[in-house]
Amino acid sequence: MLPELLQGVDTGGLLVIQDSASYSGRHLLQSFINAALNREEAVHVLGFEVSEEELKDGLRGSPVQRLHFHNAYTDPLGWTDNPAFTVHQFCLGELTRLVKQTSHSKPATLVIDSLSWILRHVSTPDVCKTLQQLRKGGAVRSIIGLLHADMHQRGTVGSVCHSATSVITVEPAMRGDEAVAKITKRSKSGKVIQDEEIFRIKDDLTVVVQSKSSKGAKKADSEEQETDPTANLTFNLRLSDTERETKQKLALPFVFSKEKKTALLHSGPGSGRIHYEPDANDDYDQEDPDDDLDV
Amino acid sequence: MYTELNSILNTTPDSFTQGEFVLLSDRQSDASFLIHHFLSLYLRARCKVCFVGLVQSFNHYSAISQRLGVSLTQAKEKGQLVFLEGQKESLSVLIPQENDTGSQAMDFLRDPSVGLKSLYEFVRSAVSSNGEGGGDGTEEWGPPVLLVDDLSVLLSLGVSAGAVLDFSHYCRAIVCSQLQGNVVMLVRCDGEGEEDEGDDEGSERLMKGLTHQCSLTLHVQGLPTGYCRDIHGQVEVCWRRRQGDGQYTQKKLFQYKVHDKGASFFAPGTSSAVL
Repeated sequence: MLPELLQGVDTGGLLVIQDSASYSGRHLLQSFINAALNREEAVHVLGFEVSEEELKDGLRGSPVQRLHFHNAYTDPLGWTDNPAFTVHQFCLGELTRLVKQTSHSKPATLVIDSLSWILRHVSTPDVCKTLQQLRKGGAVRSIIGLLHADMHQRGTVGSVCHSATSVITVEPAMRGDEAVAKITKRSKSGKVIQDEEIFRIKDDLTVVVQSKSSKGAKKADSEEQETDPTANLTFNLRLSDTERETKQKLALPFVFSKEKKTALLHSGPGSGRIHYEPDANDDYDQEDPDDDLDV
Repeated sequence: MYTELNSILNTTPDSFTQGEFVLLSDRQSDASFLIHHFLSLYLRARCKVCFVGLVQSFNHYSAISQRLGVSLTQAKEKGQLVFLEGQKESLSVLIPQENDTGSQAMDFLRDPSVGLKSLYEFVRSAVSSNGEGGGDGTEEWGPPVLLVDDLSVLLSLGVSAGAVLDFSHYCRAIVCSQLQGNVVMLVRCDGEGEEDEGDDEGSERLMKGLTHQCSLTLHVQGLPTGYCRDIHGQVEVCWRRRQGDGQYTQKKLFQYKVHDKGASFFAPGTSSAVL
């Protein structure tokens, strides 16, 4: 499913890439940017977390003429006198103005790096509202956002992902250069598809899906292994028919049938009898251990 | 500076990666010995160093750097080192005198909710004043370096984790990206971590946020098997961004022992006490 998503997010769609401190999703984000640029789409990047040089450094080889970087990295809080873009300008009007500054025939793709930065300063409902307005607004064709899931509470992450049409959660895989992507895609008809894939990003930012995740593979393995355990041994574990019959007829020593039970419990004549006389010490009353209550 | 750590990180005073944000962290341990390494390394590399020392006095760092072969007093006199002694400055904020000429860097103590903008302004003026002295005979220094020891104490002083993350973001923007210098920050955690909900302002959130921002982390922990006399703990080095050959995260684990005049690093199980 990952290659499908790379080929294009649906119009009006919001794709959220969730990552954590153990594996950065920015590399995958760059792959998405690269794929969009190669499709000759205009890409607007709202960069809070990395500088323009750093982002473009990772996109070496891509056609970056159609990439418009909006610098929210050097002064996102307005601490200097003339900030380029502050986090408080994250609203429909400002973003539409920003995107429309560069006139293109086709609506552009907006990439937000990262949503976590914005969520630290703007309340979650406002962010979700702005994203929803952008999706319906028509100024941008689709939105791709990077979210650091471990920096927010689960409710915040859940709210943002709820308004997304596709969510990709990336985690490190067993091998160093691979990663696991858990994908949830909501189509317009309301159907939800979930998938898990192991992928690797090559130097030219193309994504290679190595295999479906091991969960599906594990089930097949356990079924295959239920072969005959008595095969390929140096000693004989098989039973012939007569041996099997004798085995089934055998009465096991401590498995009691009804007759055997009654025979044991009611002893026959001549066997020892047990004669019991009640002893004072055996009459122990839990509630009256010293036997001195006048009840 | 510790020569073994230099070879692990592939740095020497003559050649080191510029524009790096190094995060030193520890969990129930003490990573401050790494701060002394980076301080002496960058002073030897003739960089302009701005040191924000919030937890110890100047004499403390000076005494240890003396043992590592670097004189902080001399560096300060020559103008190579700008040292913010947090404890002393905070006194002038808390007990203001008439003839106080202290900087406004520690003003956040008066009102922690305002944030660390004044501290950032101090850092900015310290690292940007590099080229000014070039004309009248004073020495030209290399790229600027910012060292902070440590960020967790800001949380204890009432600053929110978000404000500290904003401060580190701005420092990174000006030192790493604009001036191609390096930033080294120490953050400390206690406890086991892994708190999912609720602790919005805690040190875990700060640590995760800083990990996302940085390009190299060195995480110091005690040995999982307990106290050992000859091995003081383990360091996990994690390269988060690698330009050039592949951009995957690379992690390496080392054990270390701190001596009188340095620290030695070795692969797990190869301590000289064991072999």
